Order: sequence, then structure tokens, then C-alpha cells
Amino acid sequence: MDKQLDHSDLDVLVIRELSRLPNLGPSREFGDRVMSQVTLPRPAALVLLHRAGAWALQPRRALVLATTYATCVLLTVLLAAPWVAAHASFFTLGASWIAGQVGGWLDTAVMAVGSWSVRSGLVAALRSAAGSGPRLWATVATATVAYAASGYGLHVLLRAPRRSDDLAGTL
Amino acid sequence: MPTAKDLQALGDREVVELAKAGKEDAYRELLRRYERPVFSLIYRMVRQHALAEDLAQETFIKVLNALETYRPEYKFSSWIFKIANNAAIDQLRRRELDTLSLDGAPDARTAEEIEATALQATDHGESPLEELESRETGAAIERAIGRLRPEYRTCILLRHVEGRSYEEIAEVMDLPLGTVKTYIHRARLELREYLADLKT
Repeated sequence: MDKQLDHSDLDVLVIRELSRLPNLGPSREFGDRVMSQVTLPRPAALVLLHRAGAWALQPRRALVLATTYATCVLLTVLLAAPWVAAHASFFTLGASWIAGQVGGWLDTAVMAVGSWSVRSGLVAALRSAAGSGPRLWATVATATVAYAASGYGLHVLLRAPRRSDDLAGTL
Repeated sequence: MPTAKDLQALGDREVVELAKAGKEDAYRELLRRYERPVFSLIYRMVRQHALAEDLAQETFIKVLNALETYRPEYKFSSWIFKIANNAAIDQLRRRELDTLSLDGAPDARTAEEIEATALQATDHGESPLEELESRETGAAIERAIGRLRPEYRTCILLRHVEGRSYEEIAEVMDLPLGTVKTYIHRARLELREYLADLKT
């Protein structure tokens, strides 16, 4: 060992040795352990919605809420009924006006579709198809089989368990 | 959505903003950046692996769950080191562990810890005698750090191991700049005296 080190040499030595000290690391699962206890922020509206949902979905609270809602609706109807009866003519007039408007729109739409069908030759094509019986039946039968096959396929697909569920089951 | 590489290129403030927006990758990036410096600081303060890990975990949980309160005018590193240092100092005060540090770190488990608390890696080109001397000096400096007052220890570790500025250390420790400089000066003096005793 060097016994002749003066103060400046020792200063250099201290600083050199300090700068050489390595950064130590915690265990490998440290990050996951920390993250398991960290709450990630979520939008406030979503948080409120979740809290309200969780609160309302508790059986007793849900029952209270449903009863309150039904009572409110019933009271509203009961209180509004005399007024509605007293103003029946107003409602009749209003209803007939709305029916007239809706009927007019439907009439216009049906006429538009009809004239387009005639102009585009769709009606003529349907007539010719209806004229040849076997072709019409073949078309209808094919469409029915295709529809039934699609329905069955969808049914099978929805009933099949998901892959992640399968894997979860094996763990 | 930024990838892990994109996150690495960002500054602490930007990563914190992404974390505040709920990006889990940003949280993990902050963890990746600071787990070693924070753990090292705490470990060299308390000198017990399990305890240091618990305190580091406590620090990160506290920081990451309180990101909303982080004020960007301060450095994120100052904030996290301040919480880590407070955790370590509280622990030392509670259990007076600073008196136990004279014997180094008896529970060093990994090769890294053993190296850090007992033997030091050396530069290439040193002779076997120099290498042996350097290793001994490295172990001695760890022991000498353990003998320092906790305040001196934090200052010297942040300054010379973590490379933090005097201003940042003052922020971390809630001390005037002059006090930090004095602490570092005295800590170096104590380390120097300890090494001088060793060398004679």
C-alpha cells in the first residue's frame, strides 16, 4: 500500500472510488410488484359512471331504484291523466296532424321506390322470373338454404368457447 | 401511441404527462429509469436488501399514485429522490440502523451487491497489485460511506454516485445550497481521513 498519499491524492481517490460505485438493482419482480399497487388514472366521467353502476347494481339498491322509478312514473301518469282528459281535443288534433305528416312521408317514399323500380327495369325482371316457375323456385330455395346455413353457422360460432377461456381453464 | 423506444427518447416531464393520461407504458418507463438509482440510494442508506426493496417499493407506489400532484416546474428526479431519501431517513431514525452500517452489508445476496459492498470492479490496464488495492479501496469506501451521518451520506451519494447538481441535492434535501456544499465537503473530508487511516 502507498503510504505517501497526500490530501489531494486522497481527494482524487475518494472521488474516483465514489464514481465507480455501481447502481444496484432490486429483484426482477420489483416492477410488477409496484405496478400491481399503482392505480392508473381513468377519465373522470368513466370513473363516475362505473361508481354509479357499481352502486346501483347492488341488489337492495337496485330494488329501491326500480321501485322509486316505478312510483315516479305512476304518479306522473296519475297527475297527468286529468289534464290529458281535459285537453283531449288538443291531443286528437295533434295526433292527426302527426299521422298526416308521417302518412305523407310514407306515401312519397312508396311512390318514389315504385317509380324507380319501374324505371330501372326491376319490375320487368321480377315478372320474367315469376314467369319461369322452376327458376323462381330454385332461387327461393337457394336463398332459404343460404339463410339457414348462415344462421346455423352464427349459432355455432357464438356457442364455441373463446380460446383465452380454454387457456385459462388449463392453468 | 408511443412505443417503448419513443418513451425512452422523451424527457421525464413528457413521460409523466403520458402517465397522467393513463398510459401504463409511461409508468413502466419511469420505473425503468429510476428503480436502480432509487434502490441504490436507499440500499446504501439502510444497508439491508429486503428493507431497501420495501422502502424503494413504498417510494414508487407513493410517487406513481400521486403523479397528479407532481409540479412540472420541479425536476421529477428531485421529487422521487426526496421521497426515497425521506423514507430511508425515517427508517434510520426509527431503527437507528446507521449504527449497524460499520460492518458493511452482511446480507448482500447478488454478485452485484457483493461487489458493491465488498469488492470493486477496476479499470483495464491495472497491475494485479493495483487491482487488489483498488478493490480494497472500493470496499473501504463503501464501509466509509456507512460511517457517515445519514445527511452526509445522502449528499455524497447523490453528488458523486448519481451525479446530481448541488442545486438538485438542495431541493431533494430541503436544505440551503451552502449547507449542501458544506455537507459534501465534510463528507469528503471524513472519507479522506478514513482512507488515509486505511492506507497508513
